[in-house]
This record gives sequence, structure tokens and C-alpha cells, in this order.
Amino acid sequence: MSKFNFPYIKETNDLSNLRKEVRNFITKSLNHKDFEPSADAWVFSASPEFSKKLGSMGWLGMSFPKKYGGNERTALERYVVTEELLASGAPVAAHWIADRQSGSQILRYGNEEQKKSIIPKITAGECFFAIGMSEPDSGSDLASVKTKATKIENGWKLEGRKIWSTGAHIANYMIVLVRTSPASENNRHEGLSQFLVDLSLPNVSVKGIPDMTGQRHFNETLFDNVILSEDALLGVEGKGWSQVVGELALERSGPERFLSHFTLLESFINEFKNILIKSGSKLIGKLIAELQTLRRMSFSIASMLQNGESPETQAAFVKELGNKFEKTMVETLREFSNIIPLYEWPSQLQNLFEDATLRIPSNSLRGGTTEIMKGIIARQLGLR
Amino acid sequence: MNEELSIILETTSKILNKHVDHKLRQNIDNDNSDLINLWGEIKQLGLPKIAVKDKFNGSGLPLSTTLPIIKLSNNIGAPIPLSETILSNYILSESDINPPSGIITYAIDVKNLKIIGNEISGELISVPYLNLTDKVVVIAEIEKTKKVILIKNSGEDKELKKNFLSEPRYNLKLNKCKILDIKPINLRINFKHLGAIVRSAQMIGSMEKILDLCIDYCSQRKQFGRALSKFQAIQHQISEMAVELSASSAALSTITNSDDFYKNKKDIAILKIRAGAAAGKVIAISHQVHGAIGFTQEYELAYFTRNLNSWRNDFGNESYWEDVLGKDFLENNNQNLWEYLT
Repeated sequence: MSKFNFPYIKETNDLSNLRKEVRNFITKSLNHKDFEPSADAWVFSASPEFSKKLGSMGWLGMSFPKKYGGNERTALERYVVTEELLASGAPVAAHWIADRQSGSQILRYGNEEQKKSIIPKITAGECFFAIGMSEPDSGSDLASVKTKATKIENGWKLEGRKIWSTGAHIANYMIVLVRTSPASENNRHEGLSQFLVDLSLPNVSVKGIPDMTGQRHFNETLFDNVILSEDALLGVEGKGWSQVVGELALERSGPERFLSHFTLLESFINEFKNILIKSGSKLIGKLIAELQTLRRMSFSIASMLQNGESPETQAAFVKELGNKFEKTMVETLREFSNIIPLYEWPSQLQNLFEDATLRIPSNSLRGGTTEIMKGIIARQLGLR
Repeated sequence: MNEELSIILETTSKILNKHVDHKLRQNIDNDNSDLINLWGEIKQLGLPKIAVKDKFNGSGLPLSTTLPIIKLSNNIGAPIPLSETILSNYILSESDINPPSGIITYAIDVKNLKIIGNEISGELISVPYLNLTDKVVVIAEIEKTKKVILIKNSGEDKELKKNFLSEPRYNLKLNKCKILDIKPINLRINFKHLGAIVRSAQMIGSMEKILDLCIDYCSQRKQFGRALSKFQAIQHQISEMAVELSASSAALSTITNSDDFYKNKKDIAILKIRAGAAAGKVIAISHQVHGAIGFTQEYELAYFTRNLNSWRNDFGNESYWEDVLGKDFLENNNQNLWEYLT
């Protein structure tokens, strides 16, 4: 079991002070009506203006090197900032993917020119990214992607399509996982590569797919023989699989896996505190225990990332447990509507609850399904 | 982990692995001689008085260092009252009573307790391991103060409680039993809180073993032409156990890494809730993937799951602690939830 340790990390005074700083900023923003707290804000609520403000505060690309406009702060500091933003339901969707994974991926695998031109814009909150992994015929089975890049003179030709890319319609770039050569017979993870694709290039078209709630965030992106320069290849040709696995640890381990609907829980408690004291302390205690355990585990992963480890399996633990917690949380609140009927809840709370109820099935799909998470864990246990 | 502790853990592991097998666990009702040999070595290592003050010839180590040792003992599945003895001796030592030598146990659930002169009468409920010792630390409120009472049981009114525990528990009727010593309790931590932490550590040690048993069994057992571990339905169930276990271990290490854990009701509640909930799932899943063999006495799984059943109810079950935790937050009017959590 030593593989699955989550070492205890203490929140230092410096981190607590940073927390207060972010909290003050959020309170001010709320007072100025800069944003309205919303559920699942890191997926649904994009505000380029707000992202720019965070950039000017030094809270994007926090751990990136100074020479690329970063702040050289720790992954733990970034953790604290993202937690505070998520807990307040702030509109962070525009920059979320760039800040969480794409920037790190470019710093790790990109060339000097890419780092110099793109990273400073990410940290300023002026450059947004989308994920190019899934395809119409490749969902959980990522190694089966068919989008391909073919070498041509002075570059590459990209053809294929990517789907379920949240925010591609406002993103500047997409990191696209493609085949650059066929899979070998005994290793289907070979022959994959990652490309950094400017979405404003000719022959790229982005089409929205309304989700079941009627909102637009999903997209399908068509690459119809897009001509890419040589340096669009991100990292090493043929090593796309191991690169993408590292990226997924960043994608799965963060507090958005259990704080997506925190604003709902907080508003619910604030509204019904007097009733909960009498008859709901057990329900709330149960949620607090789970939430605090998840925070503890996710914070521990931030420190592993800081130390340069690759906590892919631990990330799967957090995602799996976090998804379950959010479902339980919404279900717990639903049961409470036996005591106070939903129509008597304040309208803002009703909206948050209904949004959460509708959106909750997606939490154990996005970023890798429950089945994939359990498969990753089973592999580490030596079962497959 | 400091060097001293890792040496103790290594030695403890050697001793326990030398003596403990499933036969030892099955035989304890009939023959205690093997167990007494084992305890002799445990005693020589100084574990019973590891958290006892120097002045009472103890090792004087902080209580938090005993948790990995207790966890290890239950990971190996040693059918000995190690946690009971360590806790009893600790509470005696802290309350300025010299702990007697040998195995000792405690009673916290009591009925109709009365003290007249130097004698105590009443009922002690669910006292662990009374088959191996006659010395009991009773923790009870007497005339509105919490007291520690050390007694020696004369033995005639002992009744073995049939419950789901693998380890023996007894109800004991005291009739003018002689008190060896009595003092006001002097603990920095509520004994119920302490017990909740210790039982959680025991559960986690046992769950680690259960996970290993499941992996081993499912990798070896073949059905429909392949190992059970190759079935996705089985893999996913065992993965779920691992997730539950790692969450509980994370909650435990929050406590073991805190210098002042005895003050921290919040983290203690979280630990007992998390470990208790995990135990429920681990019991169900481990039996499910083992099939009928897991439901026998001959195979060792049930020894561990029966203990889990009991420990998750000791010192407050999940409901109890959920209520404590919920009230701790809700009754504090100044904080919203996020402030409380951070």
C-alpha cells in the first residue's frame, strides 16, 4: 500500500496569508458585482476579464519560471489560490485548462520560442487552451485516436476531429493527441504524439455542441488538412502517450474534483442553519468529514507535483472519491427537501441546486470515467 | 519517522511474525501457552509501558508513536490485548497511578457503579480480554468527577459476551471488589477521543491486511478459466477498497503528524467517520470477492472482518461522530463552512 500514501502536509502561515489575500480579493470582486457565484464554474463560467484580473494579481501560472512571466511560486500556493476561487464559484473557466495543465505541458516539452511567446500570455490571463484528447470514436479508449499528423516538407499536415473540448470556442490553442505512426502490434501506446495547434489557423473549424442543460461549452473541432509548422510538435514524436499520462495527473488531482458545487453546499447551509442545527447535524458532519479528507489528499498531491513526482494513481483516487462525494452531497440536499420543500428555497439556491442536479452526471465522465479510474487503481494493485 | 520508532516497529514485526499464525488465533480459547510466550517477548521489548512516564519505569514516548505499533499489530492480526494494555497503562501513568506489570484492560461502559469505602460494586460492560488478565482500569464518573479506578477482579461473576468480535469481551459483575487505587482522571485527551483514534488505527491496519488477502486470493483462484483478478467486476470492487483505505490512512496521518492532536476534536471525528465508513465497505467487498471460503473459520479473512465490525462501533460509531462534527460546525455562529474547513 505504500504506493498510495498521501503524506501529511501542513498549511504554513504563508499559505494561510495567501488564502486571506485571495479571499479579500474575491469579497471585493463580489461587492463590485464583478461576478455571480455559480455551480461548476470551472467548466461553465468563463470571463476573460476576470481571468485577466487574476493574471494581474499574479495568480495564474503561479509556479511558472519568472523568465517566462511566471511567479515561481509553489504548487501548494497554486493549490490554495485555486481552492479559494472554486469555493467562491468565481468565473475561472476561460483560463482553467491553460493554467492547470497546458502551460505546464509547454514548459516541459515546448521549445524556447513557444515558451517565450505563449507562457507569458497564460500567466497574464490572455491566452486560453482547450483539450484535444477525445474523438467521436475514441472516448475512454484514448489510445485508439485516429486523428493523424503526417510529415510534409517544413512541417506537418493534421487531419481528423476532436470532440468534447470544453471551451474550444474561446480558446486560442489546443494540445492535440494524434497518431504520427501506426501502433505496434504489442504496444498500442506507441506512435502517438502531441501537437500544439493554434486554433486560428486555416482549415480549423470549431462547432458547438449544446449539452443536456442547454449550455454551450462542449465543442467538436475539425482539422481539415491543417498545415502545421515543424515546431508544432510538442515534445517527442511517438512519446505522446507518456506525455498525456503526465498531463492527466494535473487534470485529475485538483480540488475542482470535489469543490465544483461547493457554493451550493455553502448557500444551503447559510440558508437553513437553524433547521440543520436541530435535525441535520449528522448529515452535515458526514459531508464535512469527506470533504476535509479529500482536501487533505489533494493538497498532498500538490506537494508531490511540487517535488517533481508523477502521482497519476493518487490523482485517480482523488477523482474517484471526489466524484462520489459530489453526488452524495447533491443527493443529501435533495433529501432535505422533504423538510423544506424546494419551492420554498430562495430562488438563487433553487437554481444552484437544479444546475447541480442536472450537471452532476458529467462529473464522473469528464477527465476520465469512474471505470477508467478504477482500472488505473487496479493496475497499480497488480490485478491487471 | 524517527529512528527509535522504526527500530521498535521492525522488532515488533519480527516478534509478531514469528508467533502469529491463524492457528494461534483459533486456539486462544483452549490454550493460552503460545500467547503467553508471545506476550513475554512483547513485554521484554517494553511495548506495554511504551507511553508510561519514566518515573513508573516506562519508556515515556509520546502517545502518537504508539499508533503505528498498534496498527502493525493488527495488520499482522496478533490476538493480544496490546492496544488495551498500552492505553490502560497510559491512563494510569498520566493519572499518577503506578501501572502494575503484565496484561491489563479497561472498562468504560459501566452500570450502577457504587463505591463504599475501599470497595466497588456494579457492572462493567464489554470489557476486552478478561480471559488474559484480572486487572482492570475502570473509567467512570463518581460523585461528579471522572475517576480512574484500578481493580483486581476476583473472577466469579465473569460472563463471556457473544458478539461479532474475534477477540473476547466480557461483562463483569462486581460485588464489593477491592479497589487497588483510585485517582481523579488526569488526561490531556478525552478517553473516548483517544479510543476512537486507536480503534481507527487498528481498523486501518486490519484493512491493509484484508486488501492484501483479497489481491492474493483473487490472483490465485481461477473460475471460468481465468483468475478472478482478471474480471473487471472484481478489479473494480477491489479498487474501491483501496480508495476507501487510502482515504482512511490519510485521515490517520493527519492525527499522527499533529503535535497537539489531543486538542483536535475535528480531526478525530473525521478519522473515526472515515475509517468506520471504509470498514463497512471493506467488510462487504472482501467477503463478496472471497466467496464461501471467506465465510469459514478455517480461513483468516473473517478474523479481520469480525474485528472491524466491532471496532467501528467502539468509542462512537460514524453516526455519533458525524453528529459531533456537524454540531461543532453548526453551533459555531461566526464561521461559514469554508472558513471552518480552512
